[in-house]
Amino acid sequence: MRNWQNIGEFEDFLDDGGIVEPNDDIPGPYRKAVFRFIEMHANSEYMGGLTERDWIPKAPGLHRKMTALAKSQDEIGHAHLLYMVAADLGIKTREEMVTDLLEGRTHFHNVFHYRVHSWTDQIAVAYLVDAAALASQQAVFKNCSYGPYKRILRRVIVEEGFHMRNGEEMMLLMARGTDVQHQMMQESINRWWLPAVQLFGPDSKPDDELLRWHIKSERNEDLRERYVQKFVPLLLAGGFTIPDPDLRQDSETGKWKISDIDWQPLMDTMRNIGPDSSRRISDAKRAWYDAEWVRTALDDATKAPA
Amino acid sequence: MVAKAAIDAVRAAVASVADPEYPDLNIQQLGILEDVVADRSSIRVDLVPTIMGCPALDIIEQDVVAAAQASGHDVTVRFCMSPPWTPDRITDDARKILAREYSVAIRPRNGVTSCPLCGSTALEPRSDVGPTACRSVEWCSSCRNPVEVVRSREMGQK
Repeated sequence: MRNWQNIGEFEDFLDDGGIVEPNDDIPGPYRKAVFRFIEMHANSEYMGGLTERDWIPKAPGLHRKMTALAKSQDEIGHAHLLYMVAADLGIKTREEMVTDLLEGRTHFHNVFHYRVHSWTDQIAVAYLVDAAALASQQAVFKNCSYGPYKRILRRVIVEEGFHMRNGEEMMLLMARGTDVQHQMMQESINRWWLPAVQLFGPDSKPDDELLRWHIKSERNEDLRERYVQKFVPLLLAGGFTIPDPDLRQDSETGKWKISDIDWQPLMDTMRNIGPDSSRRISDAKRAWYDAEWVRTALDDATKAPA
Repeated sequence: MVAKAAIDAVRAAVASVADPEYPDLNIQQLGILEDVVADRSSIRVDLVPTIMGCPALDIIEQDVVAAAQASGHDVTVRFCMSPPWTPDRITDDARKILAREYSVAIRPRNGVTSCPLCGSTALEPRSDVGPTACRSVEWCSSCRNPVEVVRSREMGQK
C-alpha cells in the first residue's frame, strides 16, 4: 500500500502523472471527490439507459430496435461497472447509491431532465448529446488519476463513439430526407442544442479540485468552446439552423460565437426540478421495483448449487 | 474469373479494418474475417460475427466494403453462421492488447480465468453480460477492478 505524508506530497504525485489505485492509502478529500464524480457518471449512464430503453418498442423498424436495444445494454452496463468502482471507494454501498438516485437525493446529467418527444429528439440525443458526453469523457480519460475509473472510461469511450456514429448516420438520413423529416429534425435540434451545450457546465472555478487532482483534465469552458466550433458548422452543413439568434462568426478567425448562456435551466436540473425531472425519477423508480423479481431470481440462481 | 491477385489485394485491404468496439484491433486479429472468395466475376468477404444480433455488424460491413473499394475492388459481405465464432479465434497479440488496453480477459477452454490487470485468479462473477452481450462482468478482489471476460456459449461457457 502506498501512502503519502500529506496532501502536498499526494498532489506532487498526481502532478507527476501518478495513478491512484484502490489499495493505496487514499487521502479522504480525494476519495470523496472521485467518488462523487463517478457516482454522478454512473447515475447518468443509468438514466440514459432507461431513456434509450423507452425507444426500443417505438424505434422505426427491426434494425433501429436492435441498435436501441444494444445501446440500452451499453449504458446500463457502463452504470454497472461504474457503480462497482464507486461502491469500492467505501463511501456508499451500491444499494445506497441506487436508493439516493431513485429518491431524488443525488444527481445525473442535465440532458436526462428533458422529455424526449419524438424519434428525431432521440436522434438529436444520439448525435448532439452523446457527442457532448463523449467529449467530456474523453477529456477525463486523457489524464485521469484514478486507475479503475480510467480503465472503465477506455471502454466507455469506444462504445460511446460507436453511438455517436450511429447518431450521425441517422441525423444525415433526416437531413437528406423529405421536408417534413428535415423540419422534424430541426425542431429537435432547437430543443436539444442548449441542453447539449450546457452539459459541459459553467466555466470551471479557478481552484477546481477536480482539475487540481487530475480527475478532470480540461476546463468546462474549453470543452464547450471546442464543441461549439465543431458542431455549428456540422449542423449548418446539414441544412439546419442553430437556435441562437445572436450566433455569429468572427470574420477574421472564423470562430463561432454563441450568445451568453442562461445557466438557470442547468441549475434547475442540478436540483432535480428540470422540465422532466420528476417524471424521469418516478419512472426510474417504477422500473427498479418492477424488476425486483428479476434480481431476486438471478440472486437465487447464483446461490443455487451447480 | 477474378484474378488471384485481386482476391489477395482484397484480403490484405479488409484484414486491417478496425473493430468498432476495439479500434486498435482489426477484424483479422479478432477472428471475424473468415475468408475472401470469388466466382466468375465478383468477390465476396465472409465474416463470422462474435455474437448473434451484434449491433456492430452494419458498421463492420460498411467499413469492409469501403476498404475493399479503396483497394480498387467491389465486394459483397456475407455473415456466416458457421463455423461459429469462439474466443479461440482471437490471436495471441490481440489477447495482450485486450488485457492491457481494455481490461478484457478471455475465458480459457480449460482452467481458470485470471485477472487481465494483475494476474490474480481471485475473480468473482458479477453478471453474465455487461455492456456487450459477448462479455461477462467479474470483480477482481485482488486489484479491485471490474474486468470483462469474453466467453463463448458455443464452447458451453455460461
